[in-house]
Amino acid sequence: MTDTAENPLMKLSDALVERAQLARPLVAAIAAGGHRMRSGTLWRKDVVVASEQRFPDLVDARVTLADGSTFTARLAGRDPGTNIVAFRLDGTPDPNPQTAGEAQPGAFALALGAGDGGVSVRLGIVRSVGPAWHSRAGGQIDRRITLDIALGREEEGGPVLDLGGGLLGISTLGPRGRVLVIPASTVDTVLEPLLSKGRVDRGWLGLALQPVLVPEALQPEAGRDRGLMIMGVAKDSPAAQANLHAGDILVMIAGESVTSPAALAKHLGPDSIGRQVELRVLRADKPLVLSVTVGTRPPG
Amino acid sequence: MTDAAAAPPLRLRVAVVASSEAARRRLTTLVTRSGHDVVEVDGSPDAILTDDASSAVPPARAVLLGWGGEEFAGWLASDAGPAQVDAALRAVAAGLTVCGTPLQTRGLDPLPEDPQVLLTPREIEVLAALGNGLTNKETARRLGISPNTVKFHIESLFRKLDAATRAEAVAKGIRLQVVDF
Repeated sequence: MTDTAENPLMKLSDALVERAQLARPLVAAIAAGGHRMRSGTLWRKDVVVASEQRFPDLVDARVTLADGSTFTARLAGRDPGTNIVAFRLDGTPDPNPQTAGEAQPGAFALALGAGDGGVSVRLGIVRSVGPAWHSRAGGQIDRRITLDIALGREEEGGPVLDLGGGLLGISTLGPRGRVLVIPASTVDTVLEPLLSKGRVDRGWLGLALQPVLVPEALQPEAGRDRGLMIMGVAKDSPAAQANLHAGDILVMIAGESVTSPAALAKHLGPDSIGRQVELRVLRADKPLVLSVTVGTRPPG
Repeated sequence: MTDAAAAPPLRLRVAVVASSEAARRRLTTLVTRSGHDVVEVDGSPDAILTDDASSAVPPARAVLLGWGGEEFAGWLASDAGPAQVDAALRAVAAGLTVCGTPLQTRGLDPLPEDPQVLLTPREIEVLAALGNGLTNKETARRLGISPNTVKFHIESLFRKLDAATRAEAVAKGIRLQVVDF
Protein backbone atom coordinates (compact mmCIF):
# COMPACT_ATOMS: atom_id res chain seq x y z
CA MET A 1 0.00 0.00 0.00
CA THR A 2 1.32 3.38 -0.95
CA ASP A 3 1.15 6.06 1.65
CA THR A 4 -1.31 8.78 0.56
CA ALA A 5 1.40 11.41 0.94
CA GLU A 6 3.60 9.43 -1.48
CA ASN A 7 0.90 8.79 -4.06
CA PRO A 8 1.91 10.81 -7.14
CA LEU A 9 -1.70 11.24 -8.25
CA MET A 10 -2.62 12.72 -4.88
CA LYS A 11 0.39 15.00 -5.11
CA LEU A 12 -0.70 16.16 -8.55
CA SER A 13 -4.24 16.66 -7.34
CA ASP A 14 -3.07 18.64 -4.31
CA ALA A 15 -0.83 20.77 -6.51
CA LEU A 16 -3.77 21.54 -8.79
CA VAL A 17 -5.94 22.52 -5.86
CA GLU A 18 -3.18 24.81 -4.64
CA ARG A 19 -2.79 26.41 -8.07
CA ALA A 20 -6.52 26.94 -8.37
CA GLN A 21 -6.61 28.52 -4.92
CA LEU A 22 -3.80 30.91 -5.80
CA ALA A 23 -5.56 31.92 -9.03
CA ARG A 24 -8.97 32.57 -7.47
CA PRO A 25 -8.33 36.29 -6.81
CA LEU A 26 -8.12 36.79 -10.59
CA VAL A 27 -11.66 35.57 -11.25
CA ALA A 28 -14.36 38.21 -11.67
CA ALA A 29 -18.07 37.35 -11.86
CA ILE A 30 -19.82 40.01 -13.93
CA ALA A 31 -23.53 40.59 -13.41
CA ALA A 32 -25.71 42.94 -15.40
CA GLY A 33 -29.47 43.37 -15.51
CA GLY A 34 -31.30 40.39 -16.93
CA HIS A 35 -28.21 38.48 -18.01
CA ARG A 36 -26.69 35.31 -16.62
CA MET A 37 -23.45 35.75 -14.73
CA ARG A 38 -20.47 36.12 -17.05
CA SER A 39 -16.76 35.76 -16.36
CA GLY A 40 -13.90 38.18 -16.44
CA THR A 41 -10.35 38.50 -15.19
CA LEU A 42 -9.09 41.02 -12.64
CA TRP A 43 -6.15 42.07 -14.77
CA ARG A 44 -4.69 44.69 -12.51
CA LYS A 45 -5.88 46.89 -9.68
CA ASP A 46 -9.29 48.36 -10.63
CA VAL A 47 -9.32 46.83 -14.13
CA VAL A 48 -11.32 43.79 -15.22
CA VAL A 49 -11.06 42.42 -18.75
CA ALA A 50 -13.49 39.99 -20.36
CA SER A 51 -14.54 38.54 -23.71
CA GLU A 52 -15.98 41.34 -25.85
CA GLN A 53 -18.33 39.07 -27.80
CA ARG A 54 -20.14 38.16 -24.55
CA PHE A 55 -21.01 41.81 -23.87
CA PRO A 56 -22.75 43.14 -26.98
CA ASP A 57 -24.70 45.93 -25.31
CA LEU A 58 -23.37 46.56 -21.84
CA VAL A 59 -22.38 49.78 -20.14
CA ASP A 60 -22.33 49.16 -16.39
CA ALA A 61 -22.25 46.02 -14.30
CA ARG A 62 -21.60 44.58 -10.83
CA VAL A 63 -18.43 42.60 -10.35
CA THR A 64 -18.03 40.04 -7.58
CA LEU A 65 -14.58 38.69 -6.76
CA ALA A 66 -13.91 35.23 -5.36
CA ASP A 67 -13.72 36.54 -1.80
CA GLY A 68 -17.27 37.83 -2.10
CA SER A 69 -16.42 41.53 -2.35
CA THR A 70 -18.51 43.42 -4.91
CA PHE A 71 -17.78 46.49 -7.02
CA THR A 72 -19.53 48.74 -9.49
CA ALA A 73 -17.89 48.30 -12.90
CA ARG A 74 -18.01 50.92 -15.64
CA LEU A 75 -17.35 49.97 -19.24
CA ALA A 76 -14.02 51.55 -20.17
CA GLY A 77 -13.70 50.33 -23.73
CA ARG A 78 -14.16 47.49 -26.15
CA ASP A 79 -12.14 46.05 -29.02
CA PRO A 80 -13.89 43.51 -31.27
CA GLY A 81 -10.60 43.09 -33.16
CA THR A 82 -9.01 41.25 -30.24
CA ASN A 83 -12.26 40.35 -28.46
CA ILE A 84 -11.35 42.30 -25.33
CA VAL A 85 -13.65 44.47 -23.24
CA ALA A 86 -12.28 46.45 -20.28
CA PHE A 87 -14.11 47.61 -17.15
CA ARG A 88 -12.97 50.11 -14.56
CA LEU A 89 -13.68 49.40 -10.90
CA ASP A 90 -12.91 51.27 -7.74
CA GLY A 91 -10.87 49.90 -4.86
CA THR A 92 -10.08 46.33 -5.85
CA PRO A 93 -6.93 44.65 -4.58
CA ASP A 94 -3.94 44.40 -6.92
CA PRO A 95 -4.04 40.79 -8.23
CA ASN A 96 -0.41 41.02 -9.29
CA PRO A 97 -0.45 37.93 -11.51
CA GLN A 98 2.79 36.25 -12.53
CA THR A 99 3.89 36.52 -16.12
CA ALA A 100 3.75 33.22 -17.99
CA GLY A 101 6.50 32.00 -20.27
CA GLU A 102 5.81 30.98 -23.88
CA ALA A 103 2.87 28.59 -24.05
CA GLN A 104 3.98 25.07 -24.95
CA PRO A 105 1.74 22.52 -26.70
CA GLY A 106 1.09 19.66 -24.34
CA ALA A 107 1.61 21.70 -21.18
CA PHE A 108 -1.13 21.62 -18.56
CA ALA A 109 -3.33 24.68 -18.34
CA LEU A 110 -6.05 25.76 -15.93
CA ALA A 111 -9.01 27.80 -17.14
CA LEU A 112 -10.96 29.50 -14.38
CA GLY A 113 -14.28 31.23 -14.58
CA ALA A 114 -17.28 32.34 -12.61
CA GLY A 115 -19.64 29.43 -12.29
CA ASP A 116 -22.14 27.77 -10.00
CA GLY A 117 -22.13 30.68 -7.60
CA GLY A 118 -18.38 30.54 -7.14
CA VAL A 119 -15.23 29.85 -9.09
CA SER A 120 -15.13 27.07 -11.68
CA VAL A 121 -11.87 25.38 -12.60
CA ARG A 122 -11.11 23.44 -15.78
CA LEU A 123 -7.97 21.43 -16.42
CA GLY A 124 -6.59 20.50 -19.81
CA ILE A 125 -3.56 20.91 -21.98
CA VAL A 126 -2.41 23.51 -24.44
CA ARG A 127 -3.63 21.99 -27.72
CA SER A 128 -1.66 24.09 -30.16
CA VAL A 129 0.45 27.22 -30.33
CA GLY A 130 0.70 29.14 -33.59
CA PRO A 131 2.21 32.45 -34.67
CA ALA A 132 0.54 35.84 -34.49
CA TRP A 133 -2.75 36.07 -36.40
CA HIS A 134 -5.17 38.71 -37.57
CA SER A 135 -8.88 38.69 -36.93
CA ARG A 136 -11.46 39.75 -39.45
CA ALA A 137 -12.11 42.91 -37.43
CA GLY A 138 -8.47 43.89 -37.92
CA GLY A 139 -6.94 42.98 -34.57
CA GLN A 140 -3.55 41.39 -34.26
CA ILE A 141 -3.33 38.61 -31.69
CA ASP A 142 0.22 37.72 -30.68
CA ARG A 143 -0.14 33.93 -30.62
CA ARG A 144 -2.77 31.49 -31.74
CA ILE A 145 -3.13 29.38 -28.60
CA THR A 146 -5.87 26.74 -28.49
CA LEU A 147 -6.74 24.66 -25.44
CA ASP A 148 -7.93 21.09 -25.09
CA ILE A 149 -10.52 22.27 -22.60
CA ALA A 150 -14.30 22.49 -22.85
CA LEU A 151 -15.70 25.79 -21.66
CA GLY A 152 -19.19 27.06 -20.92
CA ARG A 153 -20.26 30.41 -22.31
CA GLU A 154 -20.48 31.82 -18.80
CA GLU A 155 -16.85 30.85 -18.17
CA GLU A 156 -15.47 32.58 -21.27
CA GLY A 157 -13.22 35.53 -20.43
CA GLY A 158 -11.77 34.07 -17.24
CA PRO A 159 -8.04 33.67 -16.64
CA VAL A 160 -5.98 30.84 -18.17
CA LEU A 161 -2.86 29.87 -16.23
CA ASP A 162 0.04 27.51 -16.65
CA LEU A 163 0.88 25.21 -13.76
CA GLY A 164 3.68 27.51 -12.67
CA GLY A 165 0.94 30.03 -11.87
CA GLY A 166 1.81 32.27 -14.82
CA LEU A 167 -1.10 34.06 -16.50
CA LEU A 168 -1.27 32.93 -20.15
CA GLY A 169 -4.21 35.18 -20.99
CA ILE A 170 -8.00 35.08 -21.04
CA SER A 171 -10.17 32.36 -22.51
CA THR A 172 -12.29 32.93 -25.61
CA LEU A 173 -14.71 30.76 -27.53
CA GLY A 174 -13.59 30.77 -31.14
CA PRO A 175 -15.00 29.34 -34.37
CA ARG A 176 -16.11 25.69 -34.28
CA GLY A 177 -16.34 25.77 -30.51
CA ARG A 178 -12.56 25.96 -30.15
CA VAL A 179 -11.32 27.43 -26.91
CA LEU A 180 -8.67 30.02 -27.62
CA VAL A 181 -6.47 32.09 -25.36
CA ILE A 182 -6.13 35.80 -25.98
CA PRO A 183 -2.49 36.07 -24.83
CA ALA A 184 -1.55 38.31 -21.91
CA SER A 185 0.75 40.37 -24.14
CA THR A 186 -2.17 41.16 -26.47
CA VAL A 187 -4.36 42.18 -23.53
CA ASP A 188 -1.59 44.46 -22.26
CA THR A 189 -1.18 46.05 -25.70
CA VAL A 190 -4.82 46.93 -26.22
CA LEU A 191 -5.52 47.85 -22.61
CA GLU A 192 -3.78 51.24 -22.78
CA PRO A 193 -5.86 52.63 -25.67
CA LEU A 194 -9.00 50.98 -24.26
CA LEU A 195 -8.59 52.71 -20.90
CA SER A 196 -7.59 56.09 -22.36
CA LYS A 197 -9.87 56.30 -25.43
CA GLY A 198 -12.35 53.46 -25.10
CA ARG A 199 -11.29 51.88 -28.37
CA VAL A 200 -8.35 50.74 -30.46
CA ASP A 201 -7.91 52.63 -33.73
CA ARG A 202 -6.60 50.74 -36.73
CA GLY A 203 -5.76 51.55 -40.32
CA TRP A 204 -8.47 51.60 -42.98
CA LEU A 205 -8.65 51.95 -46.75
CA GLY A 206 -12.38 51.51 -47.35
CA LEU A 207 -12.11 48.44 -49.57
CA ALA A 208 -14.11 45.23 -49.77
CA LEU A 209 -11.70 42.64 -51.07
CA GLN A 210 -11.94 39.11 -52.40
CA PRO A 211 -8.85 36.92 -52.84
CA VAL A 212 -8.54 36.00 -56.53
CA LEU A 213 -6.33 34.04 -58.84
CA VAL A 214 -4.65 36.45 -61.22
CA PRO A 215 -5.41 35.33 -64.80
CA GLU A 216 -2.37 33.61 -66.27
CA ALA A 217 -1.77 36.23 -68.94
CA LEU A 218 -1.41 38.91 -66.25
CA GLN A 219 0.80 37.00 -63.87
CA PRO A 220 4.02 38.39 -65.36
CA GLU A 221 2.70 41.95 -64.80
CA ALA A 222 1.50 41.12 -61.31
CA GLY A 223 4.67 39.25 -60.43
CA ARG A 224 2.57 36.63 -58.65
CA ASP A 225 -0.41 34.37 -59.18
CA ARG A 226 -2.78 35.83 -56.60
CA GLY A 227 -4.09 39.14 -55.39
CA LEU A 228 -7.12 40.80 -53.82
CA MET A 229 -9.88 41.97 -56.14
CA ILE A 230 -11.73 45.11 -55.13
CA MET A 231 -15.43 44.27 -54.86
CA GLY A 232 -16.44 47.62 -53.41
CA VAL A 233 -15.08 51.02 -52.39
CA ALA A 234 -16.60 52.88 -49.44
CA LYS A 235 -17.84 56.39 -50.22
CA ASP A 236 -15.42 59.18 -49.26
CA SER A 237 -12.93 56.58 -47.99
CA PRO A 238 -9.15 56.83 -48.48
CA ALA A 239 -9.50 54.31 -51.31
CA ALA A 240 -12.18 56.43 -53.02
CA GLN A 241 -9.97 59.52 -52.74
CA ALA A 242 -7.07 57.56 -54.21
CA ASN A 243 -9.30 56.73 -57.18
CA LEU A 244 -9.42 52.96 -56.68
CA HIS A 245 -12.28 51.19 -58.44
CA ALA A 246 -14.23 47.97 -58.12
CA GLY A 247 -12.62 45.42 -60.40
CA ASP A 248 -9.05 46.53 -59.72
CA ILE A 249 -6.85 43.74 -58.42
CA LEU A 250 -4.58 44.79 -55.59
CA VAL A 251 -1.24 42.99 -55.79
CA MET A 252 1.18 45.07 -53.68
CA ILE A 253 1.18 47.51 -50.77
CA ALA A 254 4.27 49.48 -49.74
CA GLY A 255 6.47 47.28 -51.92
CA GLU A 256 5.23 43.99 -50.46
CA SER A 257 2.91 41.54 -52.16
CA VAL A 258 -0.59 41.00 -50.79
CA THR A 259 -1.28 37.38 -51.54
CA SER A 260 -3.86 37.02 -48.75
CA PRO A 261 -6.09 39.20 -46.53
CA ALA A 262 -3.73 38.45 -43.62
CA ALA A 263 -0.80 39.84 -45.62
CA LEU A 264 -2.67 43.13 -46.07
CA ALA A 265 -3.71 43.32 -42.41
CA LYS A 266 -0.07 43.58 -41.38
CA HIS A 267 0.11 46.96 -43.11
CA LEU A 268 -2.98 48.38 -41.43
CA GLY A 269 -2.20 48.21 -37.71
CA PRO A 270 -2.70 51.12 -35.28
CA ASP A 271 0.56 52.78 -36.34
CA SER A 272 -0.43 52.88 -40.03
CA ILE A 273 -3.02 55.66 -39.60
CA GLY A 274 -2.05 58.79 -41.53
CA ARG A 275 0.74 57.03 -43.38
CA GLN A 276 0.98 57.42 -47.14
CA VAL A 277 1.45 54.09 -48.92
CA GLU A 278 1.84 52.98 -52.51
CA LEU A 279 -0.60 50.46 -53.91
CA ARG A 280 0.08 48.47 -57.05
CA VAL A 281 -3.09 47.33 -58.80
CA LEU A 282 -4.05 45.70 -62.07
CA ARG A 283 -6.75 47.69 -63.86
CA ALA A 284 -8.08 46.61 -67.22
CA ASP A 285 -5.14 44.19 -67.48
CA LYS A 286 -2.55 46.96 -66.94
CA PRO A 287 -0.44 47.63 -63.85
CA LEU A 288 -1.03 50.93 -62.10
CA VAL A 289 0.54 52.53 -59.03
CA LEU A 290 -1.61 54.72 -56.77
CA SER A 291 -0.85 56.50 -53.54
CA VAL A 292 -3.28 56.35 -50.63
CA THR A 293 -3.30 57.90 -47.16
CA VAL A 294 -4.36 55.30 -44.60
CA GLY A 295 -7.45 56.39 -42.66
CA THR A 296 -9.00 55.22 -39.39
CA ARG A 297 -11.22 52.16 -39.41
CA PRO A 298 -14.77 53.15 -38.47
CA PRO A 299 -16.17 51.34 -35.44
CA GLY A 300 -18.35 48.25 -35.94
CA MET B 1 -53.29 32.57 -57.21
CA THR B 2 -53.86 28.88 -56.54
CA ASP B 3 -55.45 27.48 -53.41
CA ALA B 4 -52.08 26.20 -52.31
CA ALA B 5 -50.89 29.76 -51.72
CA ALA B 6 -53.61 30.27 -49.13
CA ALA B 7 -52.90 26.97 -47.32
CA PRO B 8 -51.84 27.24 -43.67
CA PRO B 9 -48.08 27.06 -43.02
CA LEU B 10 -46.89 23.49 -43.29
CA ARG B 11 -45.70 21.73 -40.18
CA LEU B 12 -42.46 20.05 -41.06
CA ARG B 13 -41.20 16.73 -39.77
CA VAL B 14 -37.74 17.58 -38.46
CA ALA B 15 -35.07 15.21 -37.16
CA VAL B 16 -32.56 16.39 -34.56
CA VAL B 17 -28.95 15.19 -34.62
CA ALA B 18 -27.06 16.56 -31.65
CA SER B 19 -23.53 16.42 -30.31
CA SER B 20 -24.65 15.89 -26.71
CA GLU B 21 -27.73 15.26 -24.62
CA ALA B 22 -27.88 18.92 -23.59
CA ALA B 23 -27.62 19.98 -27.24
CA ARG B 24 -30.38 17.52 -28.15
CA ARG B 25 -32.71 19.14 -25.64
CA ARG B 26 -31.83 22.62 -26.93
CA LEU B 27 -32.33 21.68 -30.60
CA THR B 28 -35.56 19.83 -29.82
CA THR B 29 -36.90 22.92 -28.06
CA LEU B 30 -35.88 25.06 -31.03
CA VAL B 31 -37.72 22.80 -33.47
CA THR B 32 -40.84 22.81 -31.31
CA ARG B 33 -40.74 26.57 -30.77
CA SER B 34 -40.32 27.12 -34.49
CA GLY B 35 -43.61 25.30 -34.95
CA HIS B 36 -42.51 21.92 -36.26
CA ASP B 37 -42.59 18.30 -35.15
CA VAL B 38 -39.57 16.29 -34.10
CA VAL B 39 -39.20 12.86 -35.72
CA GLU B 40 -36.49 10.20 -35.77
CA VAL B 41 -33.69 10.51 -38.35
CA ASP B 42 -34.79 7.31 -40.09
CA GLY B 43 -38.40 8.49 -40.15
CA SER B 44 -37.93 10.27 -43.52
CA PRO B 45 -37.83 13.81 -42.10
CA ASP B 46 -38.42 16.88 -44.28
CA ALA B 47 -35.35 18.53 -42.80
CA ILE B 48 -32.68 17.90 -40.18
CA LEU B 49 -31.39 20.28 -37.53
CA THR B 50 -27.92 19.55 -36.19
CA ASP B 51 -25.15 21.22 -34.22
CA ASP B 52 -22.63 18.56 -35.19
CA ALA B 53 -20.64 19.37 -38.34
CA SER B 54 -19.03 15.94 -38.28
CA SER B 55 -22.29 13.99 -38.13
CA ALA B 56 -23.16 11.78 -41.08
CA VAL B 57 -26.57 13.33 -41.82
CA PRO B 58 -27.57 13.91 -45.45
CA PRO B 59 -26.19 17.46 -45.77
CA ALA B 60 -28.56 18.42 -48.60
CA ARG B 61 -31.45 18.48 -46.13
CA ALA B 62 -29.66 19.58 -42.99
CA VAL B 63 -29.37 22.92 -41.23
CA LEU B 64 -26.18 23.27 -39.20
CA LEU B 65 -26.11 25.51 -36.15
CA GLY B 66 -22.56 26.73 -35.75
CA TRP B 67 -19.38 26.20 -37.66
CA GLY B 68 -17.92 23.86 -40.21
CA GLY B 69 -19.43 21.54 -42.78
CA GLU B 70 -19.22 23.45 -46.06
CA GLU B 71 -21.63 21.00 -47.64
CA PHE B 72 -24.68 21.68 -45.46
CA ALA B 73 -27.68 23.16 -47.24
CA GLY B 74 -28.38 25.47 -44.31
CA TRP B 75 -25.99 27.21 -42.06
CA LEU B 76 -26.96 29.43 -39.10
CA ALA B 77 -25.17 31.07 -36.19
CA SER B 78 -25.09 28.81 -33.14
CA ASP B 79 -27.31 31.26 -31.23
CA ALA B 80 -29.98 31.53 -33.96
CA GLY B 81 -33.52 31.91 -32.60
CA PRO B 82 -36.74 30.03 -33.45
CA ALA B 83 -37.74 32.49 -36.21
CA GLN B 84 -34.47 31.99 -38.09
CA VAL B 85 -34.54 28.24 -37.49
CA ASP B 86 -38.11 28.09 -38.83
CA ALA B 87 -37.15 30.02 -41.97
CA ALA B 88 -34.04 27.91 -42.53
CA LEU B 89 -35.85 24.58 -42.07
CA ARG B 90 -38.60 25.59 -44.50
CA ALA B 91 -36.07 26.78 -47.06
CA VAL B 92 -33.98 23.61 -46.84
CA ALA B 93 -37.07 21.40 -47.02
CA ALA B 94 -37.97 23.27 -50.22
CA GLY B 95 -34.54 22.52 -51.69
CA LEU B 96 -33.04 25.97 -51.12
CA THR B 97 -29.76 26.95 -49.56
CA VAL B 98 -29.55 29.15 -46.48
CA CYS B 99 -26.61 31.11 -45.18
CA GLY B 100 -26.96 33.01 -41.90
CA THR B 101 -25.25 36.38 -42.22
CA PRO B 102 -23.89 36.61 -38.65
CA LEU B 103 -21.37 33.93 -39.54
CA GLN B 104 -19.79 36.19 -42.09
CA THR B 105 -19.40 39.17 -39.85
CA ARG B 106 -17.90 37.76 -36.69
CA GLY B 107 -15.00 40.00 -35.91
CA LEU B 108 -12.83 37.43 -34.20
CA ASP B 109 -12.66 34.98 -37.06
CA PRO B 110 -9.14 34.65 -38.37
CA LEU B 111 -8.34 36.32 -41.66
CA PRO B 112 -7.40 33.78 -44.30
CA GLU B 113 -3.62 33.35 -44.51
CA ASP B 114 -3.66 31.21 -47.56
CA PRO B 115 -7.08 31.02 -49.23
CA GLN B 116 -7.71 27.45 -50.35
CA VAL B 117 -10.03 28.09 -53.24
CA LEU B 118 -9.03 30.92 -55.54
CA LEU B 119 -11.31 31.94 -58.36
CA THR B 120 -10.32 34.18 -61.23
CA PRO B 121 -12.14 37.51 -61.66
CA ARG B 122 -14.05 36.02 -64.62
CA GLU B 123 -15.11 33.00 -62.60
CA ILE B 124 -16.44 35.31 -59.89
CA GLU B 125 -18.51 37.17 -62.51
CA VAL B 126 -19.86 33.90 -63.88
CA LEU B 127 -20.68 32.69 -60.37
CA ALA B 128 -22.56 35.94 -59.68
CA ALA B 129 -24.56 35.40 -62.88
CA LEU B 130 -25.39 31.83 -61.79
CA GLY B 131 -26.50 33.23 -58.44
CA ASN B 132 -28.85 35.59 -60.27
CA GLY B 133 -30.39 32.62 -62.07
CA LEU B 134 -29.09 33.54 -65.51
CA THR B 135 -28.80 30.86 -68.19
CA ASN B 136 -25.49 30.23 -69.96
CA LYS B 137 -26.72 32.23 -72.94
CA GLU B 138 -27.80 35.19 -70.80
CA THR B 139 -24.52 35.04 -68.88
CA ALA B 140 -22.56 35.04 -72.12
CA ARG B 141 -24.47 38.06 -73.39
CA ARG B 142 -24.03 39.98 -70.16
CA LEU B 143 -20.29 39.31 -69.94
CA GLY B 144 -19.66 39.71 -73.66
CA ILE B 145 -18.17 36.23 -74.07
CA SER B 146 -19.25 33.11 -75.95
CA PRO B 147 -21.59 30.51 -74.39
CA ASN B 148 -18.80 27.98 -74.79
CA THR B 149 -16.48 30.14 -72.70
CA VAL B 150 -19.22 30.41 -70.06
CA LYS B 151 -19.47 26.62 -70.04
CA PHE B 152 -15.72 26.39 -69.67
CA HIS B 153 -15.80 28.72 -66.63
CA ILE B 154 -18.69 26.83 -65.06
CA GLU B 155 -16.79 23.53 -65.38
CA SER B 156 -13.81 25.17 -63.75
CA LEU B 157 -16.05 26.50 -60.93
CA PHE B 158 -17.52 23.04 -60.36
CA ARG B 159 -14.02 21.61 -60.14
CA LYS B 160 -12.63 24.26 -57.79
CA LEU B 161 -15.69 24.36 -55.54
CA ASP B 162 -16.19 20.60 -55.69
CA ALA B 163 -19.77 21.20 -56.77
CA ALA B 164 -22.02 18.95 -58.83
CA THR B 165 -24.83 21.43 -59.55
CA ARG B 166 -25.17 25.14 -60.23
CA ALA B 167 -27.02 25.59 -56.92
CA GLU B 168 -24.22 23.89 -55.04
CA ALA B 169 -21.60 26.04 -56.75
CA VAL B 170 -23.50 29.20 -55.79
CA ALA B 171 -23.98 27.95 -52.22
CA LYS B 172 -20.30 27.25 -51.81
CA GLY B 173 -19.32 30.34 -53.74
CA ILE B 174 -21.16 32.74 -51.44
CA ARG B 175 -19.05 31.43 -48.62
CA LEU B 176 -15.96 32.74 -50.34
CA GLN B 177 -15.65 35.61 -48.03
CA VAL B 178 -15.11 39.21 -48.84
CA VAL B 179 -13.04 41.05 -46.26
CA ASP B 180 -13.19 44.75 -45.42
CA PHE B 181 -10.15 46.93 -45.04
